[in-house]
Amino acid sequence: MSVGPLHFMALAAVLFSLGLYGVLSRKSTIMTLMCLELMANAVNINLVAFSHYRTPALMTGQMFAVFSMVVSAAEIGLGLALVLAIYRLRKTVELDAMQELKG
Amino acid sequence: MGYVLAIPLLPAAAFAVLAPLSRRLRNGAIAVSVGAVALSFLLSIVAFVATLPGGHEAEAAYHAFVPFAHVGDAVLGAGLLLDPISASMLLVVTLVSLCVQVYSIGYMHRDERIGWYYAVLSLFTAAMLTLVLSDNFLQLYAAWEVMGLCSYLLIGFWHEQEAPRKASLKAFLTTRVGDIGFAIGLLVMFNTAGTFDFATVLHGMEWAPQTATAIALLFLFGAMGKSAQFPLHVWLPDAMAGPTPASALIHAATMVAAGVYLVARALPIFEASGVALTVTLIVGSVTALAAGLLASVQHDIKKVLAYSTISQLGYMFVALGAGGLVAGMFHLVTHAFFKSLLFLGAGVIIHAAHTQDMREMGGLGKHLKVTTVTFTIGSLALAGVFPFSGFWSKDEILTVLLHEGHYVALAISLLAAFVTAYYVARLWFRVFIGPQQTSDLHEAHNEMLIPMGVLAAVTVVVGFASPAFAHFLGHEGEWPALGMALGSSAVAASGLLLGWFMYGRRTKVINTRAIKQRVDYVYGALVNKLYLDLTYEYFIVRPYQRHAAWLGRFDSNVIDGVVNGAGRSWRALAAVGWRFDASVVDGAVNGLGQLVKSAGGRVRRLQVGRVQTYQGLVVGVLVALMLWIVVKGV
Amino acid sequence: MLSIIVFLPLIGVVLIAMLSKERESAARLIATAVAAVDLILASLLAVNFDVTGGMQFIEKFDWVSGVGIQYYLGVDGISLPMVFLSALLTLVAVVASWKIEVKPKAYFAMILLLEVGMNGVFMALDFVLFYVFWELVLVPMYFLIGTWGGPRREYAAMKFFLYTLFGSVFMLVGIIALYLQAGTFDIVALTDAGLSPTFQWWVFGAFFLGFAVKVPVFPLHTWLPDAHVEAPTAASVLLAGVLLKMGTYGFIRISLPILPDAAAQWSPFLAALAAISIVYGAAVAFAQTDMKKLVAYSSVSHMGFVMLGIAAGTAEGITGAVAVMFSHGVVTGMLFLLVGMVYERTHTRVIEDVRGLSSQVPVAAGLMAFASIASLGLPGLSGFVGEFLSLVGAWRSDMWPGWVIIAAVGVLLAAAYMLWLVQRVVLGSPSHAVAEIEDLEPREIAVLLPLVALTLGVGIYWDLLLRYVDPAVRGLTALMGA
Repeated sequence: MSVGPLHFMALAAVLFSLGLYGVLSRKSTIMTLMCLELMANAVNINLVAFSHYRTPALMTGQMFAVFSMVVSAAEIGLGLALVLAIYRLRKTVELDAMQELKG
Repeated sequence: MGYVLAIPLLPAAAFAVLAPLSRRLRNGAIAVSVGAVALSFLLSIVAFVATLPGGHEAEAAYHAFVPFAHVGDAVLGAGLLLDPISASMLLVVTLVSLCVQVYSIGYMHRDERIGWYYAVLSLFTAAMLTLVLSDNFLQLYAAWEVMGLCSYLLIGFWHEQEAPRKASLKAFLTTRVGDIGFAIGLLVMFNTAGTFDFATVLHGMEWAPQTATAIALLFLFGAMGKSAQFPLHVWLPDAMAGPTPASALIHAATMVAAGVYLVARALPIFEASGVALTVTLIVGSVTALAAGLLASVQHDIKKVLAYSTISQLGYMFVALGAGGLVAGMFHLVTHAFFKSLLFLGAGVIIHAAHTQDMREMGGLGKHLKVTTVTFTIGSLALAGVFPFSGFWSKDEILTVLLHEGHYVALAISLLAAFVTAYYVARLWFRVFIGPQQTSDLHEAHNEMLIPMGVLAAVTVVVGFASPAFAHFLGHEGEWPALGMALGSSAVAASGLLLGWFMYGRRTKVINTRAIKQRVDYVYGALVNKLYLDLTYEYFIVRPYQRHAAWLGRFDSNVIDGVVNGAGRSWRALAAVGWRFDASVVDGAVNGLGQLVKSAGGRVRRLQVGRVQTYQGLVVGVLVALMLWIVVKGV
Repeated sequence: MLSIIVFLPLIGVVLIAMLSKERESAARLIATAVAAVDLILASLLAVNFDVTGGMQFIEKFDWVSGVGIQYYLGVDGISLPMVFLSALLTLVAVVASWKIEVKPKAYFAMILLLEVGMNGVFMALDFVLFYVFWELVLVPMYFLIGTWGGPRREYAAMKFFLYTLFGSVFMLVGIIALYLQAGTFDIVALTDAGLSPTFQWWVFGAFFLGFAVKVPVFPLHTWLPDAHVEAPTAASVLLAGVLLKMGTYGFIRISLPILPDAAAQWSPFLAALAAISIVYGAAVAFAQTDMKKLVAYSSVSHMGFVMLGIAAGTAEGITGAVAVMFSHGVVTGMLFLLVGMVYERTHTRVIEDVRGLSSQVPVAAGLMAFASIASLGLPGLSGFVGEFLSLVGAWRSDMWPGWVIIAAVGVLLAAAYMLWLVQRVVLGSPSHAVAEIEDLEPREIAVLLPLVALTLGVGIYWDLLLRYVDPAVRGLTALMGA
């Protein structure tokens, strides 16, 4: 069997769903961040796949994916720094402990 | 003849100097005041000489006028009118005033406030001189009122005591009752004539009888107050609470005669009315007799003289009521001298005996030689005994009554003359004869005796001027008819005899107490001053006080109550409004707010503060959206 | 000139306001200086006044040109004595209250502000301006009574304020009605507006309420005793001396010339109220136990004579009315000052407690007796001039003579309450409260002397006052006759 766009999309969908599940259910902030990274990478897979099958000559999707990965890396850096700050303040990184916005 | 102006101005200046300094000056005050009035007296002699030979009452020897007010079409002003009437009044006023002021040096020398005393005497003299020199009724009225003030001040001179305080107020208010009449008379006069000038209102115009009657009666009412005529005489006996020399000047010789002077001046208006003359006659004769009777039962020597003054003033009104200007004025002149003489003598007697009650006097004749002589002269003049001045002027009045045919008034006057002689004898015998009741009697000093001597001398001789005085005023002057003279002398003699019979004999056979009991009600009425004082007290003074107090309460309770009630009810209304505002109007606003608040309370539960819940929501909504798109198909 | 007189005290107010707290005692010096300069200017006004010249020193500018409101000032022979009186009494009031210790800055500022309003009322010839000044007077007087007054000051001040405001609201209605009818606020121009008698009748009624409260006429007088009793001495002087005159001045300046037909129609009613005020005020004064209240009710009685002269509408009557206004200001000012001075020393105004002043404090007693005698209308003193003339005028008019006779009886009653006061307070031997008090100091005598001099001067030489009043009144009666 040859690998077609559907396989890529299925993979991306699975990855995205795993990430979403993790974001909504994990208690630790760090785990949530990692799951967010999963979801972003699912998007990246789709970008590369669509670019490869639709407009192979232009390589636009690949460029976007690379760009997105750089941003994600920065994002994670920032996110982890925030988590670190929160940890210093509260001695915990549990999401349930952060309820200041409760009305 | 500008010096006429100085005659009233000198005492006025003395007052202006003395009034602010009255606390500091004693001898200085005497010097200033006596000096001023002495100069006035000299100038009055000059002025009197200048009016000689007199002759016509309407022609003035001197007339000056200074306007002091322009109102509408009228020019009001102050004027000086020197004619025979005012010239003779000038002499009387300045001479009596001079005598009284000199006498007061001795009489008042122990008093602390002698400076004030002399200041008021000066003001009084100035006012009286202004009055007699007036050329219009407004100025006359002004001077008249100022004299009333002086009278008030002098009656209440010893104001630390209750009686003088009360008497002064009574005097001022009673005379002011009369003044209201005078003032309204002035209004009527001005309304008709548009001026107050003697020249116009007395000689220059024809008065309608009704207007003339109105003015004359109103003026008469004023004169009755000032000259203490029945029934407004009640203040004069009480006024004796003042210093005796002041009584001599004000309440015997001059101020009380101002009413007579007013009627004499306004006589043309009285004559134009006719009715007013009759009323004057009635008032005068009633007063002459009633006051004479009242004088007969008094025990206070000054009150006897006070009632006697009222009675004699009544005589003058009788004369004027009969149209006898000369007789009235002449009696005014003679009375001024002999009555002030009597008052000054009474002052010496009171000083000597230390009492005013005649029952505690007696036998003074042996010790007070000069006083006895002068007082006797005065008494005989008052009783109307030849050749003293009272005889002549009284005879003239009786002659006028006879000529004009007023026989009832004549009879009353003769009766009054009899009563007068009787109380004079009663007074004289009680004071000078009989057992001596006080020791340590001493005659007064010369400064008190000399004025009395002067007045006594005048009293002896002035009567003989009777025809000359008539000529001077421009009337026919005659010596009294022999028959009338004999008749009145007989009346006077019988009165004196009766007095002697009852009080003069060494062995008292007349039991006066028995007589009093026999005519209990008459005597009671007289002793109680004909119940007039009580009547006024109970029917005027007290009701006024009660009603004033009632009105005061009415004002604060009812009238102010309405205002406060309006205020309070407005406040109550406002309170109701506030409650409505608070509950309904504001309630609506608040209710809306409450609604929003409770709605918000519900909504805020969504805000759990957990990020993952929000994310779940977002995802849920997204999924729902996607399903919707899928199902509906875009 | 007139604007300077009116607004000069305002400069004084500003200067006083700029004083620091430590130097607040300088307020009285500023106030004295300003009031003195104002009095000098007012005197200059009198000196330069042409007695036959009608309305003079006119200042006239458009103010709100859209509706024809003008800034219009001027004086004639009727308002000039009032301007002089208010300038004089302000100075007297300032000097008399030198010893005030509570908030002196505000106190003197209020008195000066009051002077602005008073002078303005007497000079304004435009209705809006008149009304502004009229209401301006209320405010400082409210504070003077309410801040420096006696124990019931808030009540008295509120009553005074509301009562007068109640009246002036009706006046405002009258002003607006006149404007709607005649299309101008110009008081002088309105005199020949040719208004219909019915319209006049209603407008007169509106003005009557406004003015009668201020006068005050029976039965609208009850604010007066309360205000006087609670007010500090200086405020009493100005209240009785000047503020009451604003009411009668309004009648003479506005009601008579602008509404002559209505004045004739209302005359019997005014005459009755005047006569009742005279006798009623005198009787109630007789019953008082508080000296200040007695003087206050005597004011009701005296202002009755003013109303009588106004009701008469004759030249003599109106001249007499103005003369009473002037004389009452001077004499009652004197009485209130003396009562105040006695109160400062004895701390009581109850007549029974104060006795025998003449033995203890002869100068105060003498002046009090003098003022009382002037008040009861003795000829030769100013009180007589006006009362006599208004009686003459009333008798000459066609009012019922009974009212005149009742009013004349009021003269007797005045003698009764005044001399009874003298008898109880001045005469006799000193009572406990009087036993150790000091006599007047030179400052207090200096305050009273000008008033004594005026009382004597006007009383003896009537033309001192009447030379201003009489020609103006003749002009007025000519207007009314036309």
